Amino acid sequence: MKRCLLSGESGYSPRRLLRRGYTPGFSFFLLVFLLSSLPGFAQQSITVTGKVIVGDSAIGGATVQVKGRREAVQTAPDGRFTINVPKGSRLVISFVGYTPEEVAAAPSLVVQLKQEAIQQGSEVIVVGYGVQKKATLTGSIAQVSGAEVAVSPSPNVGASLAGKLPGLIVNQTNGEPGRDDPNLLIRGMATLPGPPGSPVNSGPLIIIDGVERSGLTRLDPDDIESISVLKDASAAIYGARAANGVILVTSKSGHRGKTVFDFNYNYGIQNVTKIPKMLDAVTYEQVYNENQFYKQGSNPATYLPFYTDSVIAITKSGSDPVNYPNTDWVKAVLKSSHVQKIGIQASGGSDAVRYLLSFGSTTQGGDFKHVPDNYQQYNMRLKLDADVAPNLTVGANISGIFSDGTYSSVTGQTDLGGPNGTAVTFIDILQANPTLVAVYPNGDIAPGRLAESPLLLDQEGFAKISNSSIYSTFTGTYRAPFLKGLRADISYNYDFANQFEKVWQIPAYYYSYNINTKNYDRKLQNRVIQDNDIYNKWTTRLTNLRFTYERTIARRHHITVLAGAEQQYNTNSFSNAGRKNFVSSAVPQLNVGSTAGADQSIQGSASAGAYNNYFGRLNYDFASKYLLEFSFRDNGSQIFPVGKRYGFFPGGSAGWVMSEEKFMHNLPAITYLKLRVSHGELGNDRVASYQNVQSYAFGSNYVFGSSDVPGIYPLVVPNPNITWEVSKKTDFGVVATLWNGLLGIDATYFIEHRSNILVPPVLSTGQIYGYPSLPDQNTGIVYNHGYELVLTHRQTFKDFSYSLSANFNYARNKVINMDETPLAEPWQNATGHPINAGLYYKFAGIFRDQADLTKNANQAWSGSKVGDQKVANLSGSNQISGNDQFRFDYTAIPMETFGFTSIFRYKSWDLNLFFYGQSKVYNYDAVYANLGNSDFSNAMVARATNRWTVNNIDGTLPRSNEAAPGATTLYLKDATFIRLKTMEIGYSLPHSLITRTHTFTAVRFYVSGFNVLTWAKAIKYADPEISGNSTTYPQQRIVNFGATVKF
Amino acid sequence: MKKIIVIIILISTLAACRRNVLDIPPQDRISENAVWTDPNLVTAYEANLYNGIPHGFYIHMYSKYSDEAINTAPCCGANIFAQNTYNPDNITQASSGDFWGGYMYYWTQGYQFIREANLFLAKMTAPGSITVTNKQQLIGEVYFLRAFMYFNLAERYGGVPLVDTVYNLGDSASFVRSTFDQVVTHIQNDLNAAKPLLPKRILSTDVNFGRATQDACLALWSRVTLYAASPLYNTSNDMAKWQAASDAADSLLNAGYSLYSDYRTLFNQPSGSPENEYIFSRQFTTANGTQYPMHNLGRRYGAYGGWWASNGPSQNLVDDYDVATTGEPPFKWVGGGPGAMTAATQVANPASGYDPQHPYWNRDPRLQATVLCDSGVYHGDTCFEWISSDGKSWGFDSYKQSSDNPEGGYILKKFMPDAAPLNWSTTYTTPWPFFRLAEIYLNYAEAQFNLGHEDICRQYIDMVRARVGMPAIPATYTGTALWNRLVNERRIELAFEGHRFFDERRWLIAGDIENRPLRGMQVIKNLATGVTTYTPVTWLQKIPYTSAMNFLPIERSEIKRDPKVTQSPGWQ
Repeated sequence: MKRCLLSGESGYSPRRLLRRGYTPGFSFFLLVFLLSSLPGFAQQSITVTGKVIVGDSAIGGATVQVKGRREAVQTAPDGRFTINVPKGSRLVISFVGYTPEEVAAAPSLVVQLKQEAIQQGSEVIVVGYGVQKKATLTGSIAQVSGAEVAVSPSPNVGASLAGKLPGLIVNQTNGEPGRDDPNLLIRGMATLPGPPGSPVNSGPLIIIDGVERSGLTRLDPDDIESISVLKDASAAIYGARAANGVILVTSKSGHRGKTVFDFNYNYGIQNVTKIPKMLDAVTYEQVYNENQFYKQGSNPATYLPFYTDSVIAITKSGSDPVNYPNTDWVKAVLKSSHVQKIGIQASGGSDAVRYLLSFGSTTQGGDFKHVPDNYQQYNMRLKLDADVAPNLTVGANISGIFSDGTYSSVTGQTDLGGPNGTAVTFIDILQANPTLVAVYPNGDIAPGRLAESPLLLDQEGFAKISNSSIYSTFTGTYRAPFLKGLRADISYNYDFANQFEKVWQIPAYYYSYNINTKNYDRKLQNRVIQDNDIYNKWTTRLTNLRFTYERTIARRHHITVLAGAEQQYNTNSFSNAGRKNFVSSAVPQLNVGSTAGADQSIQGSASAGAYNNYFGRLNYDFASKYLLEFSFRDNGSQIFPVGKRYGFFPGGSAGWVMSEEKFMHNLPAITYLKLRVSHGELGNDRVASYQNVQSYAFGSNYVFGSSDVPGIYPLVVPNPNITWEVSKKTDFGVVATLWNGLLGIDATYFIEHRSNILVPPVLSTGQIYGYPSLPDQNTGIVYNHGYELVLTHRQTFKDFSYSLSANFNYARNKVINMDETPLAEPWQNATGHPINAGLYYKFAGIFRDQADLTKNANQAWSGSKVGDQKVANLSGSNQISGNDQFRFDYTAIPMETFGFTSIFRYKSWDLNLFFYGQSKVYNYDAVYANLGNSDFSNAMVARATNRWTVNNIDGTLPRSNEAAPGATTLYLKDATFIRLKTMEIGYSLPHSLITRTHTFTAVRFYVSGFNVLTWAKAIKYADPEISGNSTTYPQQRIVNFGATVKF
Repeated sequence: MKKIIVIIILISTLAACRRNVLDIPPQDRISENAVWTDPNLVTAYEANLYNGIPHGFYIHMYSKYSDEAINTAPCCGANIFAQNTYNPDNITQASSGDFWGGYMYYWTQGYQFIREANLFLAKMTAPGSITVTNKQQLIGEVYFLRAFMYFNLAERYGGVPLVDTVYNLGDSASFVRSTFDQVVTHIQNDLNAAKPLLPKRILSTDVNFGRATQDACLALWSRVTLYAASPLYNTSNDMAKWQAASDAADSLLNAGYSLYSDYRTLFNQPSGSPENEYIFSRQFTTANGTQYPMHNLGRRYGAYGGWWASNGPSQNLVDDYDVATTGEPPFKWVGGGPGAMTAATQVANPASGYDPQHPYWNRDPRLQATVLCDSGVYHGDTCFEWISSDGKSWGFDSYKQSSDNPEGGYILKKFMPDAAPLNWSTTYTTPWPFFRLAEIYLNYAEAQFNLGHEDICRQYIDMVRARVGMPAIPATYTGTALWNRLVNERRIELAFEGHRFFDERRWLIAGDIENRPLRGMQVIKNLATGVTTYTPVTWLQKIPYTSAMNFLPIERSEIKRDPKVTQSPGWQ
């Protein structure tokens, strides 16, 4: 597997080479190093011809570089190379996945490469505005290579990150193609969420190639060199927006040498992971009747069943599928679909120019038979670096993500206030009444629920969302000739994203059986044709200038100084135009719509924001043994008022590589051992802007006579003192490699103290003041702590090798202070509990009969009937009220997550198993709770089984259409699960075979599965990763077939 | 060369930087100073204050919170009123529009708009404030609106804290509940301040129809004084209060308004139509309108009537329409009455001539104008609610055909347009009546009854009945019997206009009314004989009504935030 190397460098450590005895002594090595780097030193040259091999196989495409100089060649497919070098030079031979070898130049050479061993020293980690060697890293930074991300070809990169990066929590709650972005959290939550509808403020800052960018989940995994996660004070260099952690994504670059082509193809078959089993028509009818019984006063004498016994009997017999059907909506609606991914990449370079060109395409279908769901995405990238003058390199990195998603035009259940937009909800399917016909026996489509049968969706127009985003970066690097070690980097980035959404709604025809005429009447849905064109444009401009000075003093004092400035300017503009009453449904364009004023609508808005920053970092290491780092950022944000805009965020860390100490050298088991500690202050500003001024918005019109008169309304009450949220993070860590890589340990304990958290005082401010809405105030305090543990093990035998890597993460937060009014009972206050901990009533059984209800009246609320839930009376009053709720200490955000990767290789075969799991997480599912409701919604079998009925008074679940005082713990389920997230079996053609082709350098075939198996502790009826309710689009289970070819 | 390149790169990068990059004015909103110095924005701010008065075309009408309609919507704000399970812990579910209860909670919204009104008054009366052409009229309107907002609070909670100051963040105040009478006085003061600044009246065809007028002030005052005189608030039955109610109504009896000739058309014609009955109402346009018909009609029109909105009229309401020829109610009630906490018993009134097997024949014309029942005609379609006796076939509008049809067997017809197309893409501009002359007549009749003037009471009831051709109330009806006719007349005439919920309470009859089972109609047709039988069935038995429910509870945590504000009685 490819290691993470910085572009153009072959990571190696002189120290390690020394230890292995490749050079007679360190001083000699240093001498050669210095001599070879002196300009004008080499006078004579020799021609080296050689061959690079692994075992007995030749290696094509390996890089042979003159040490300390730019000259390099690549080996031919037969492993041979020829290069002219100054006499006395040393050559560094490197190949991806193998340890670089260094040899003295000689006319004829055979170089044997060894597979790379796990060794801390060889890895390079991407940090803020630079890279550091893992061996001397002092921050808490996890990194994963692009190759590792690409192993499981989920169309969504975010989903592939789950469990791969210790400390990163990935929660994927929606599986709809193109809309399946997971929630990412680093070390859980440490900030208080705003009221519903406010911007999400707990997510990490995502920096892609140096710029805050949004398309992480839509990247082509084959373009990714590495993804690293800054979890502690090391993120302080990103200051003000780094409190929730930073994710740094680095894209691949071209390398000097002959052009290498990478081609990969993947075909996947996808299905939803798990959807709840819903009631059949007979059970549904019984449950509904039970609801009617209670509503009518539970009097058997006057009870009038909604479904008579004869109706239930006909339904059961299936003799009248037109009037008394038993429809399995899931079966009627769902299908399996496919996902296809093609990628091609070409990279290489000459002495002066390096390039990488890449193109990828993803096509993903939806899971519905009659929904126009389809998602297509194209990724393109051009990366170019050119040495335009001595000491001056300029580059451009231009990439684009273009996507076209087609979805149903029906706007979910937004009328119900849901956040779904045009997203498909499963509610129309899962809760569809099984006594409704889906398709009549003659093939005609029936109206379904609310005449909105999901089978009609493909006739109802579409919602097409097309995104075109261009990310451009132009860089210049100048290495000062007058001061060795000084370089200046300058970059200008211009990103823009355009989103065009067309929602084209046309009424569909359906058939309705007329019981009186026995005809199937053809009917048109009762709505007019309408079109909405919604346009959004976002831009980001970022200019960055930084100076780096790197110097080794007196051989052992290594100093790196970085100072920089950065300015960012973002804009968004939005418009939405619509028309109704189209002349014809033939042309879905606005100008075909009616021109009457009442049939047209137009909206628009715009926003802009900016940052102005200064930052710097100082690294000092003494003989790679004692390590120190200090960084800062002076961050200015337009969100805050003048005087409160700039925040200073410093961070520092220290490390001690104990294994470098003499006294450790006689402990051969310890290959590497480092202790580290870090502390820093970071900020967070993810709140709405302009909260310091009173402003007014348009939109609350009123009508006088027959005309609409503009109305304006006040926005948030000003808070002139609003400023940065501050996070103080402290980390303690141990990193060790034992027995030369047999066991790796990386353990971290962290403490985070978040203060000045921006939250509106909604819980404490009386509504009688009449504030329109409340601004954020710097009042909240949250304490968060936890640990991360990574264990690795790797072993190589003759033909067989394997590596195991397990990570375990724990993060628990506690609200220290939030603006809340003390509740009636002390145990109910949110303060002292985890963020988002909810108030619940404690389930205490079922009222089995009237005697039970009478006897335990203090466990009932005013609406309780026999068959309802008993609730623990915590306040000691005589009836259940809100005072009997308690604060439950687990939330839908897992406190514990874990990942386990195992890779096995045998000869040309490889097997990759990856498990992901979470625990200490609970999910309240209101849809599961729903049974026998008067809205005719279907319910889950899991809920209906063993419900309380008149004939089953010992039922363990409440009656149909129960009356509960609020959310109870009965429906609060432990969402612990372990998932075989990825399983992949690959076969690579052996080198001996490959070399004979004289064309290819590597060929690999694989079969893989994504979301293969799930074991859930309590939520066995639905996908346990869904949080909230189980009617959202579940995750996909994908079986992939693919090949990668290099030539 | 090299240096030139370096310099070019440096300059071009620095050129991309800005000196004051952080000084970005808001792009999509107006600053405070701009608002109070621009007459157009001042006018726009004032127009918005009218939104502070909830209208009745939200998905959940207040009817379903009373015995007027059946609520099948199992969700959101309305559900807590469906079975009277509202309490301080769940009451905020009804704090917003449409699905979320039609602002029944109103506490939050009310005080927000009161602050906005207070801010307007403070800004406009401050020295050196901006000159606007009709400034005094705008100030008058805002006084009226603030009075109406306080009334909206008072009819729900009784005495509420009175706030006339604009508080800013960080200010702290100690709010206490005023008495109901203090709220009434406050409303009176605002109305007295408003009246001199307002025009007497604006005609329904005028471009300013919908703005506050002197008559709107009088109409509001009539309702306020009537409530204040009612048993819930006037525990000592102070006659002076009834006199005040009488005087208030009296001021509008001969103010130039007249009952519109057609009871049905009055409620379903578009905004701007000529009529002479509405005193204050809310207008709509297609850009700023509502979709109420689709929330109330059934499957036949592609609407959702049965499922979620379902302001489907109840059998309880249908039973209360008099028989047309006799002018008598079909049923009488034994028991119940003011203060009762148990349901009265329904007994037939043979004198009415009511035929239970032809329940919709020969009834008060307002029944067919308000309720679409079996065999009724709407939009050219006959409504079929029947189910065959063998259960194997049914009419198109029955609940068997579709869960989008009402379970109770009735569809709301009042307000439903006759001419406009019926679909989800049309917005309807039917105005919502806040005050109309018929209410003033009935207010006057009620006040006169309580002042002992039964003949005047009958006279004004009869004026309301005469419009639809109903016989006068015979002089034999006196005392409680007349009182019951008066109560019933108000129920019928003002059905679905949002009165019943509050009337039940102020009359102290909710303990009777709300404890009666809510019924629907089972329509069974024998296909062999062609005979249809009508059987009222119990649809919903609510939980027992308690006197605490006479007032809405305040959210539990709101009491914690304002510790001096007491919870509504009975809700501790």
